[in-house]
Order: sequence, then structure tokens, then C-alpha cells
Amino acid sequence: MTAVLSTTSAPAGTGRTMLRLHRTALIVWAVVFAGVSAALLWAYGPGASAAADEWRRLCLNGTDVCQWGPGLERYNRVYALAEYAIALLPSLVAAWAGAALIGRELEQGTAQLAWTQGVSPARWLAAKLAVPAALLTAGTAVLVLLHRLVFEAQAAPMNWSWYDDDTFAANGPLAIVWPLAALALGALAGLLLRRSLPALVAALVAIWGTSLAVGLATPRLWPWETRTGTLRTGYPGGTVDVIFGGQGALTSTGARIADPMCRDDAQCLADHDVTGYFTDFHPASHFWPLQLIGTGLALAVAATAAATAFWLLRRRTR
Amino acid sequence: MTTPLTGPPRAVLRLHRTALIVWGLFVTGTIAGLVWLNTVTADSARAKSARCDPLAYCADPFANTSYSAPISWISTFICYGFLAVAAWAGAALIGRELEQGTARLAWTQGVSPARWLAAKLAVPALVLTVGGIMLVVAFRWGWAANRDLMGDDWAFADVFVARGPATVAYALCALAVGTLTALLLRRALPALAVSLGAMWTLNFFLERYRESFWPTVTRTSPPEFEASRSWWPLENGAIIDGRRTQDVPYWECDGTSAENERCLDDLGITGHYTTYHPQSHYWPLHLVETGIVLTVAAVATLIAFRLLRRRTTAPAVRKGASV
Repeated sequence: MTAVLSTTSAPAGTGRTMLRLHRTALIVWAVVFAGVSAALLWAYGPGASAAADEWRRLCLNGTDVCQWGPGLERYNRVYALAEYAIALLPSLVAAWAGAALIGRELEQGTAQLAWTQGVSPARWLAAKLAVPAALLTAGTAVLVLLHRLVFEAQAAPMNWSWYDDDTFAANGPLAIVWPLAALALGALAGLLLRRSLPALVAALVAIWGTSLAVGLATPRLWPWETRTGTLRTGYPGGTVDVIFGGQGALTSTGARIADPMCRDDAQCLADHDVTGYFTDFHPASHFWPLQLIGTGLALAVAATAAATAFWLLRRRTR
Repeated sequence: MTTPLTGPPRAVLRLHRTALIVWGLFVTGTIAGLVWLNTVTADSARAKSARCDPLAYCADPFANTSYSAPISWISTFICYGFLAVAAWAGAALIGRELEQGTARLAWTQGVSPARWLAAKLAVPALVLTVGGIMLVVAFRWGWAANRDLMGDDWAFADVFVARGPATVAYALCALAVGTLTALLLRRALPALAVSLGAMWTLNFFLERYRESFWPTVTRTSPPEFEASRSWWPLENGAIIDGRRTQDVPYWECDGTSAENERCLDDLGITGHYTTYHPQSHYWPLHLVETGIVLTVAAVATLIAFRLLRRRTTAPAVRKGASV
């Protein structure tokens, strides 16, 4: 792929052409990257110190309820907005890749024209994917680092939870891999449908569907931590700031059953042989295993989509 | 135009049958979902949560969500459906035709540009209005049928729009704005992005300033009072020396209730106030917003026709002048 980027020996229609053709997208990405970086840097520096000052002033004077002032509100809003922009990126990339990058070229025949000008179809697709992939990876890697910085530094107890979908992705490689998967899925949709607008819609549906599926599968692919409680204590405590799995009752044989809802009814508890309760959960220490499983799944989606796109293109142009 | 389904209107329907099918499925699917949720899901959700002691642990503490979550999603989709209309109108309806030259081809086949645009706008407008009215009527019933299972209220941003004609107004406005951006940009994908962005921005600002579209009510009284659940609360605080203030240093007061009371007196608190919209303000607020959105739609349509006329007649005029 590096050969594609060194445009000196490459014929027209590769790296540099890519950047010229999609300069609007390049500008948009540069603006988004600069904006989100600036927001996160602000939240890490001046935003955090203003929020911390305000927290000390309003909330550390023995009061039970404390109302956020403008400093804490702004800090929270800027952080949330930056995180939202990072979360929105895969959708934007999928729509763009499906419609503008691949779909339109096939619809208007400019791709076919390029293939007659000394650029082989495979090489054309490689350039189409490699240039945006490199630019996206470089940018999102910086954004993830900045987001982690702000999240870890949390100037006041802001109730930011590590397991929130957007936060979880933006704190690790998931936020780098999803835009790449979106790029590959968009390219595949463009090649399959060969029309820009249907490809745009299909790419969006594909990225939403796969990220939903990966999000549902990830917590189930790493062993849960389990805590049990007795009849007297009820459900085990100490499970705050966690992802919940299953909950229910335990019998004398140690079997797990659905809670029969006896509450304090001794007869009912005896009838169902309930001797205790259990809760499955992922504590914050499971962040990295979960993050890596999700990243692996998203990478698999990206690789499969890209491989299918190349295979489809070769079969069609041979 | 003597028989309704010939000429340009018929062409519009045939050309955009995918969009028509998607819209039809959305309308019927949403209505079917509302009926199912209110006849089947509501009873089972209520039975499940009846088994739960609200204070003790419950195996399914959010038994209601099997009902309330889909209803919330439906209100979101009905309210923000206009974003899809904006994208479609900008890209598929007008942008693509101008980009690929099929519009100009149509203009040479006996369809004047103005008539071409009129058909492009009238047919979708009719379809959107009919479907939108059906959605609003169904949602008004479905949202009100099982209030005890829901946690939202009339002032929620999406519920506010989905319960009245603003839903249709936003859809028509998205159609007009999408058309105008496409005529300006003459390219499908940029028109899609700009039209989506324009409608999102319009909605963002209307949502933000919605509360100011009708005079608010302020209630003051010496003791603190509970706000009614049917209110849309906007601001509340204390009256100190006859002035309303939101930053009362309550934390300075502590101790027994008598001490506390004296301390509050020392702060100079003479009363409390709440500024809010009662539920009876729903229709005035809603209709003012509907009016604003329809005005934007009308202006965008007018500019679109003017722009098209200027663009399709200007060369002839110039030629005439030079002769």
C-alpha cells in the first residue's frame, strides 16, 4: 500500500488524484478533527480548572444537593459534544464511502474510465481505501488519546461512566477501528449497488447493524464476575459503575433460577428451594478485555468487507 | 393535468417508487406498532411491574421499558423523520436530476421547468401530508392510551412535535429546503449534506427557543410549593428583597428546622417563584412553531421557483437583448 502513496512513479488516478478529487471530504475531516481536538484540549486545560474551582465553591461546603453552575455545565457539554462527534464518525464515513468515494464513480462511469488509463481496478480500489484509511487512523488515534486524557482527569465527579457506549468506544481502539470498518462497508455497498444514493443508504444500514450486533455480543464474550448474597442480605451490593449481566436466585444445589419474587415469604422461598441470590457483572477492570474483543470483531468486519470488495471487483472486471 | 395520474405527476410517482414504498412501510409499520404496543404489550408490562415492590429489588426493575422504550422510539422517528425527507429531496428528487441532466431533458419534452418543479413538489407534498396526518392521529391516541407506563411528558422535544401539525409542517419544510439547496448546488451529494444540515439547524434553534413562543406563567408565594407534574418548568428560585434570584445560598443554613427557618429569614427570602408553561399552552406554542416552519417552507418554495425561472429564461433574454 505504501507504493500507492508514493505518487512519483504511480500513474494518475492514485494517491494524489484521490486527495484532489475528494478535497471537500478532506477539508471536512480536517475541520472535524481540529474542532474535536480543540474541544478536548480546552476541556483538559481551562475547562477542567474552571469546573474544579466551581465544584469546590458550590459543592464542597456541606450541602446535600449542589446545582452545577455555568463552569461545570460548559465542561460537561463540551466533553459530551466531542464524544458525540467521535461516535458520529463511522456513520459519516460509511455514507461518504458508499456514495461519494465508490458509488458515484461507478454510476457515472469515471471508475471504468480510470481503469482504461493504466490504473488496474485492484490498484484503483487500493488507493481509494488506503488514503482515507491512513488519514482516518492518524486522526482518530489522536482523538482517542485526547479523550482518554480528559476522561481520566475528570475535574469533578461528573458521573461519566466508562461503560456508556460512546465513552467506551472513544476510550480505546474501537473508535479507531469503527471508521475503518465503515470505510470498507461503504466501499462494498458502492461496488455492490453501483449507484451513489442506494449505496449511501445501504452503507448506513450496514454500519448501524454491525455496530449494534458487536455491541450486543461483546459483553457476552468475556466471563462475567459473579457476586452472591444470602437470603438475609438479599442481592449482593457493591455493584456500582458496572455493566450488568444476569441476576436471579440460587437453589441449595447451586443452580441458577429466575427469581420467584418471594421477598420475605418463607414458605415460598422453601417451595422454590431458594438459598441465595446472584448478580453477574463486568467491573471497570474488564475495560481492556472488552475493548479488545470489540476491536477484534470490528476489525474482522472491516477485513471481511474489504476482502469481499476486492474479490467482487476482480470477478467483475476480469 | 385533466386526469390526475398522467404526465409529470405520474412520472414522479414512478421514478420515486422506492421512496414511496419506504414511506408507506414507515407509516403502516409505525401505526401497527402503536396498536400492538397499546393492546398487547401494555397489559403484560403492567402485569409484570405490578409484581414488583417499587422500593425492593425486582427481577425486572424496568418492566415498563418493554412498552415505554418502543413508544419513545416511535415519537423520535415521527418527530425527526423530516431529516430523511430533507436528505431525499435534496439528493434524489432534485439534485440527481440536475446533476445528470435528466431535468433539462424533461424540459425539452414539452414539460415547462415550472411545471416540472410543481409536479416534483406537489406529489411528495400530498403524500407526506396524508401520511403525516395518519401518523399524528395514531400517535396522539397511542401516546395518551397508557400514560401510567410512560415517564415522558408533553414538553419532551420529540413528543411536542409528534402530537400535532408541526410534524407535517417540518416534512413540507424539509421538502422545500431540500429542493432549494439542490437547485442552488445542482449536485446530489452536496445538496444532501447541506439540506440535512439546514433542516437540523432550523430544528435545533426552534427547539431551543420553543419555550419563548408564548408568554410564560410565573407563580409566586411566600412558602415553597410543589410544581405540578403537568407543567413545563422553566425557572424557579427565591425572592430576596423583592428580586428573583436562582442562586440562594441554602447551604449556609443548617440545624433544626427552627434554626433553618430563622437563617432563611436572615438571608432575606420573602417568597418563592416558578416560571413555567401550563399544559394549556401546548397548542399556542405548537401552532406558533408550526407557523414559523410553514413560513420557511413557503419562502423556500417561492425562492426555488424564482431561481428556476431566472435560470431557465435568462439566456434567452440576454440573447434577445444583444440582437
